[in-house]
Amino acid sequence: MSRIATGLALVAMCAAPAFSQGRGGPKPPEGPTPRMPDGKPDFSGVWARPYTPDMSMQIREAKPGGALYRDLPNISKDQKGQVQLPFTPAGKAQWDAYDPANGDYTGACMPFGLTRSVNSPDPLQIMQNAKYVGFLWEQNTWFHIARFANEHPKNLTPSWFGDSIAKWDGDTLVIDTIGFNGRTRLDTIGHPHSAQMHVIERYTRTDLGHIAYEITIDDPVTYTQPWKNVRTFTLRPDWEIMEYSCEENNKDFFEGHIKGTQDPNKPAASK
Amino acid sequence: MKTKMVLTMAGLLVAAALPMLAHHSFAAEFDDSKKVMLKGSVVKVEWQNPHIWLYVDVKDENGKDVRWQCEGGPPNTLTRNGWTKDALQPGDAITIDGRRAKDGTNTCNARSVTLPNGHMVFAGSAEDGGPKAPKAEGQQ
Repeated sequence: MSRIATGLALVAMCAAPAFSQGRGGPKPPEGPTPRMPDGKPDFSGVWARPYTPDMSMQIREAKPGGALYRDLPNISKDQKGQVQLPFTPAGKAQWDAYDPANGDYTGACMPFGLTRSVNSPDPLQIMQNAKYVGFLWEQNTWFHIARFANEHPKNLTPSWFGDSIAKWDGDTLVIDTIGFNGRTRLDTIGHPHSAQMHVIERYTRTDLGHIAYEITIDDPVTYTQPWKNVRTFTLRPDWEIMEYSCEENNKDFFEGHIKGTQDPNKPAASK
Repeated sequence: MKTKMVLTMAGLLVAAALPMLAHHSFAAEFDDSKKVMLKGSVVKVEWQNPHIWLYVDVKDENGKDVRWQCEGGPPNTLTRNGWTKDALQPGDAITIDGRRAKDGTNTCNARSVTLPNGHMVFAGSAEDGGPKAPKAEGQQ
């Protein structure tokens, strides 16, 4: 029922172009892919991204007057008409049980985590040098750093955003992330993931104004096989990211209209 | 011209609804089936993250003022689209098409905010009906 309500809200907005920022925004500048001194593509810039509340939907170009997301009106508990996610029994049980009215960590301004930050509609600034790629999301002023490295450290402390290493595959930047604490959901609609999730993101700056983005969710606890979502980011040279304090006036939460969540990794009752 | 304005507003209304889902799930707090249409006067606008809040006094059947609070979009997005909190002043007459909070309080999620002259506030870009637009009747 909660997902139907969310779906109805999504239907209400699906007739317009994807971007939340004004009327679709100006055309990005044209030109070749910018490069770093070493010749590798430079992803620096402030980027608009399509808001992605449901990662199981393939993002398609909006048709005039048509729905942005395929089969959006069919969002329902049994996912009829959507891309069928390959849940394990444990994953399906988590998905079926999800009701944000019982607790919504993002509503409580807890960290969004990696995928929900990438999914958010607010601008993203990427900063890059030879050692690091920095992702600065306006959403809640979250940031995350990927360092160029061949492997993750051993004995990672689990975290909301995970540990990310960056590598090159030709001109594609591959961000490999593990070490999640399992306290987040993949997207607003609540698709689950476990602490064992392994995320592979591929960024390809096809030209000055665009990034082709692909994310793979590899989580054998929750899904029987890896699955992907693809999007296009668009350069917005007219934007600067702004501070976004989730906590400064979160009336929804501190007046009790919504509940936060308990840590699912902790036992329900102390012994 | 009136038709053009209506068509523009329809598109803008939908665009304005989008940012409201960013922070958290709509369904965590609001019931999409509990529609409210609030005709009242502005008491205050709070222009802070994660949502702007509009405080409105609505007359009940006895003519008594009942206070409502309705959340709008994130101020950053609105600011980028040319809006400021000055688009609404205390005393302005507005109509809010909203969805009520599940907890039954006088709290809503504002789907649209309309002035008596039909202009939509905080929808799309400010140039389409914002502070530069003609004022509502009775305002200076």
